[in-house]
Amino acid sequence: MIIQKNEYLPEYYNIENVKWETPDIYTINIKTKNPGHSGQFFMLSVPGTGEAAISVASGNGRDLSFTIRKIGSVTGKIYSSQKIGVRGPYGKGWPWKDYDHIVAVAGGIGVPPIRSLLEELMDAGRNRDVSIIYGARTPSDLVYKDRFEEWSRCVDLTITVDRGDEKWGGNTGFVTEFIGRKNFSKDTAIFIIGPPLMMKNSVAEAIKSGIREENIFLSLERRMECGIGVCGHCNVGEYYVCEDGPIFRYTDVKDKPELFL
Amino acid sequence: MAKLFKSISEEYDTYGTISEQGEIVFGQVRGFKDIVDGRSKYAPKEFLISRNENILYLPKIEKKAVFGIRSCDLKGFYIMDRQIYGKDPFYTARRDNTLFINFVCREPCEGGFCSSFGGPVLEEYQIQVIPDGGKYLVMVSEEFEKYMKDFKVVENNEIEKFRKDFDNKMEKLPVEGIENRIKWNSKLWKEYASICISCGACNFSCPTCYCFDLYDREDERLREWDSCILAGFTSSSAGNNRPELDERLRQRFYHKYVYYKKSKDVYLCTGCNRCTEDCPVDIDIKEVITHDYSKE
Amino acid sequence: MGTITVCPYCGTGCQIVINEYGSSQHIIGYSLSPVNEGKLCIKGYSGLSYNFSKERLIKPMIREGDSFRNADWNEALNYSASRMREIISKYGPDSVAFQSSAKCTNEENYLMQKIARMAGTNNIDHCARSCHSPTALGLINTIGAGAATGSIGSLEDTRTFFIIGTNTTEQHPIIGAKILRERKKGKNLIVADPRKIQLSTSANVFLQFKPGSDIALLNSIMFVILKNNWQDNDFINSRTQGFEEFRKEIEKYPPEVTEEITGVNPSLVEEAAMMIAKERPAAIFYAMGITQHIHGTENVMDVSNLALITGNIGVRGSGIFPLRGQNNVQGSSDMGALSEFYPGYVRYDSDNVKKFEELWGKKMPRNRGLTLSEMFDAAADGKIKAIYLMGENPLITEASVSKVEEGINNLELFIVQDIFLTLTAAKAHVVFPAASSLEKEGTFTNTERRIQKISPIYKPPGEAKPDWWILKEFGKMLLGMEDYSSPEMIFDEIRKVIYNYSGASYDNIFPIGKQWPINKDFPEGTEIMHSKSFPIGRGKLIPVPFGYPAERADDDYRFIMTTGRNYYHWHSGTMTRRTDILERESPEPYVEINNDDAMMLKIRNGQVITLESRHGSIKIKARITDKIPSGIVFVPFHFVEARVNELVGENYDPISKIPEFKVVAVKVIP
Ligand SMILES: Cc1cc2nc3c(=O)[nH]c(=O)nc-3n(C[C@H](O)[C@H](O)[C@H](O)COP(=O)(O)OP(=O)(O)OC[C@H]3O[C@@H](n4cnc5c(N)ncnc54)[C@H](O)[C@@H]3O)c2cc1C
Ligand code: SF4
Ligand code: SF4
Ligand code: FES
Repeated sequence: MIIQKNEYLPEYYNIENVKWETPDIYTINIKTKNPGHSGQFFMLSVPGTGEAAISVASGNGRDLSFTIRKIGSVTGKIYSSQKIGVRGPYGKGWPWKDYDHIVAVAGGIGVPPIRSLLEELMDAGRNRDVSIIYGARTPSDLVYKDRFEEWSRCVDLTITVDRGDEKWGGNTGFVTEFIGRKNFSKDTAIFIIGPPLMMKNSVAEAIKSGIREENIFLSLERRMECGIGVCGHCNVGEYYVCEDGPIFRYTDVKDKPELFL
Repeated sequence: MAKLFKSISEEYDTYGTISEQGEIVFGQVRGFKDIVDGRSKYAPKEFLISRNENILYLPKIEKKAVFGIRSCDLKGFYIMDRQIYGKDPFYTARRDNTLFINFVCREPCEGGFCSSFGGPVLEEYQIQVIPDGGKYLVMVSEEFEKYMKDFKVVENNEIEKFRKDFDNKMEKLPVEGIENRIKWNSKLWKEYASICISCGACNFSCPTCYCFDLYDREDERLREWDSCILAGFTSSSAGNNRPELDERLRQRFYHKYVYYKKSKDVYLCTGCNRCTEDCPVDIDIKEVITHDYSKE
Repeated sequence: MGTITVCPYCGTGCQIVINEYGSSQHIIGYSLSPVNEGKLCIKGYSGLSYNFSKERLIKPMIREGDSFRNADWNEALNYSASRMREIISKYGPDSVAFQSSAKCTNEENYLMQKIARMAGTNNIDHCARSCHSPTALGLINTIGAGAATGSIGSLEDTRTFFIIGTNTTEQHPIIGAKILRERKKGKNLIVADPRKIQLSTSANVFLQFKPGSDIALLNSIMFVILKNNWQDNDFINSRTQGFEEFRKEIEKYPPEVTEEITGVNPSLVEEAAMMIAKERPAAIFYAMGITQHIHGTENVMDVSNLALITGNIGVRGSGIFPLRGQNNVQGSSDMGALSEFYPGYVRYDSDNVKKFEELWGKKMPRNRGLTLSEMFDAAADGKIKAIYLMGENPLITEASVSKVEEGINNLELFIVQDIFLTLTAAKAHVVFPAASSLEKEGTFTNTERRIQKISPIYKPPGEAKPDWWILKEFGKMLLGMEDYSSPEMIFDEIRKVIYNYSGASYDNIFPIGKQWPINKDFPEGTEIMHSKSFPIGRGKLIPVPFGYPAERADDDYRFIMTTGRNYYHWHSGTMTRRTDILERESPEPYVEINNDDAMMLKIRNGQVITLESRHGSIKIKARITDKIPSGIVFVPFHFVEARVNELVGENYDPISKIPEFKVVAVKVIP
């Protein structure tokens, strides 16, 4: 086998602009077409600091965009870096093309892959085929607030917070409460991403609402370092989350310990 | 053999087992007589996966021939090929440019159980040598037949006879079906966790373990061998899916005997016994195979 | 090419083979080593990459205002030597002080103490002060030698292991593992520790005693032994002195009475006593849990009492094993890098100092020098004007760091020699960049007295030089000392000076080392010491009354904090925090707190809380665990982000001057 390319070597890009969505979550844009698909991720790096796996937040073919929570060394430096390294896309994306109708549920910082999904559906002219439910803890934890208006015009969008404040006029309650209220057929697929407990409850709710188990898809997060199925960090059961996931069909993981916690 | 060595050395840099203050390790060798006969203290994974290297830069890959690697260690590469060959550019390039001349052990080593996994005569090899009292039985794969044009090729029945003799000397473990017998909640895991000192030796010594860590040091991005026994191996921003030591020890055995079998149809173990030899608290992987889970 | 070296971390002194050829590298434990038998812990395997850190010091530097400028060696050495000469001539030799290092080789420690003494002062000390000075003093007093009495290999003959105040599987993992392997064969294991350390799960008897009650516990073990007449009378009669007096003290400690102090059930004490006295040989292991107390030296002597009355000394498989922290604590103490001892434990006031005057051709100081912390105090008081510090980071590791800082700020000359610009080095006037142990030649002496050779594997970065080279150049300039051409030449001088090293040479200690005493009488070295008699003749039984620690929990400060290391890091973290895997395993400071206490105080796992002592306070994340008993909290001291030693008060053992790191009364504020 002739090795053409060092897969570990990122390409370096300038960050176009940084937008703070919340006090600790920011979105960056990069002037290059997103070669990946919603649900996939890239390895972003700050030279001298390290790499982090970040889901792509924009649709395929649009400008590359990421939304990142500042929690550690790399994520705490990307926004202030001139240049960042980007390699990818890696992993499997949302299988939206296989389904006529989709309910997408996002909790907390899990929303970027759903924004990416939404953009792809819009670009494909299929924005009527999706319902989105997005929940965060409080109104100030909501990401993409400035996009809600545009989105709500073209898709069925539900935004909710666990706890509102004085100014909050929207829904309150967990995302799970809204799953059952959507209209769907038994062929509807549901895509879920968020904190472990939220995903667990959402799956239970989806099943209760009559969605078929094999139509449930989840995005799982594990420690990742290589992104290409060799470093072993993301191994759980017979899967390597970076290459066999991060999007999994619920029926493939439901009985697997350590996977769907 | 000296002749074979010579013709190989025209094309490859030659490496082999040497003794360093009584420890058998690998090093550069100039002639066949420099090679000491004996099993190295470790599986020479560093030929394909460097213990520490900058991955931003793919160096010129030299052609290396490695003499004296034991069958159990070589088999490790054939097994990990299924997960990482073609994906990791460094491993792949080195794999393609390294010629392993494996020496088959005539006598079972203490504690080894390679025959349980089909060893020590391998089905897959490049050049395989069975020392036979001053003589050598040599088997070559097609790709390397050119080196054998002056030599007599081994007869199948000679190999068969060797296999039989060997099998009489080494006990076979009940490996078959371990993926179904092994138990998630076995008491073994907690028992091991109570003494394991998280040294990582079992991973570092294993010819089939390939996991590594990535980190930056100034302008370099380094790969360093890693160990799934360490808690940080799985800690992520979403929590840790194996926070307890017993879970991590179980992961190691499950990856070897259950997961890899399911995904790649082969056990991630060659029976070399190195993890047991190097474990400072004598945790014996053979017990994981022979333990009677049905009694728990 | 494979090179054999010694692990730079703990006192076990595991031998590592680094096999590097072409672009390949492999790290293994040396199979033929009697110390580690081919095994290593994670620090040995994955802890060496600090060596290649880009933050290594590569040039000598001289302070200029708030920053440093690079200098060449000649200038830096000249400047330092002439400044020090000025200070000595102005204020006298006792105005300068030297701090040596247990991370440096025997040769380097020897040189540094020689420089100090040739300059006319006994102000030479090193970090053993904060870990094992009570061992040197206590054991020299009772059995005549401050060192482990047996060997690691001899533990194969041990029938009972008694572990007190050492978290062996974390701090000396390879010795801990050896004990566990023996335990698997059915040997007895008694563990005495305030925390539920890993070894306690495998123990036959676990004595979970309160911090600071060591003497009460040991005395009541001995009470049970004497009450049942389990002592070794032959040994007591023929090898010891002071038994009758000692017995009178012990009679005050029935376990039923001490239970209130120790919290240990008398029946467990009984069981432990029986094993130690009846199922011999028994080996006793201790570390900082015994020494870092205001009663540290007495604790050590009490351990010695126990070994003596049960005859557990001088026989294979028995003995006292002080587990040394740094890889060369034993060696640097042997070399006399201590304020009260010349090389070979010759006291500053003994007649034998003459020997050095003859050898070194100069009159030697006969006053007691200052200890580590006294040096900083004296600096703060203006009595010490210059300190030359090698391979230490006292701004993190010393008790009451604010006092240390004050002292440093007051110095006229502060020379720091290190491989990194540590917090301490950043305050220096001159910085000497040193080679690491993987880049130099020399010897280390491990916790079982084994003198082991190291050889360079890598070239030092930039202009960094081996410590011995820097020291001998400095010695030349300051005092006209001889120009040693190699570490071996220094070692040959050590052999002349220290009788117990006299039979060792670079040739005969390679590759597996030899245990001192190695001399005319024991040309092959000595595995088991004291088998016929003690260096001081008879062993001394010394009555040790129990006394409370300096600080106790009260209504204001309701918790007792103990400090220590964790498995992944090393002291101030200068090395380990620069190795990726170790830092990943333990990236941030934490305090361990018992689950019930946490529940009561409504503290969540990971919550940032405040620890406040009478001396300072820090903010730190809580780690909730059942490994620590209620009322006690544990904090590792590796982290600059939370310097726990700010909480440690100035409570010192009056004999050894070791600070009480193990018992500090604190408030826990959610
Ligand atoms: C498939 C996938 C998609 C992700 N998408 C996003 C996203 O869109 N936006 C976002 O903000 N975050 C995302 N994350 C999480 C993100 O990868 C981590 O937050 C990031 O790696 C932390 O890096 P750091 O260097 O800043 O943190 P560090 O300083 O290294 O550590 C901080 C925390 O991050 C954890 N961590 C460290 N390295 C990794 C790693 N390699 N993988 C996972 N956790 C790690 C540590 O355990 C620790 O808890 C994603 C993770 C995965 C696996
Ligand atoms: S070699 Fe043994 S002690 Fe070391 S990590 Fe593996 S099981 Fe644990
Ligand atoms: S036990 Fe001590 S000397 Fe041995 S490898 Fe570990 S830290 Fe190094
Ligand atoms: S991230 Fe390396 S194997 Fe998945």
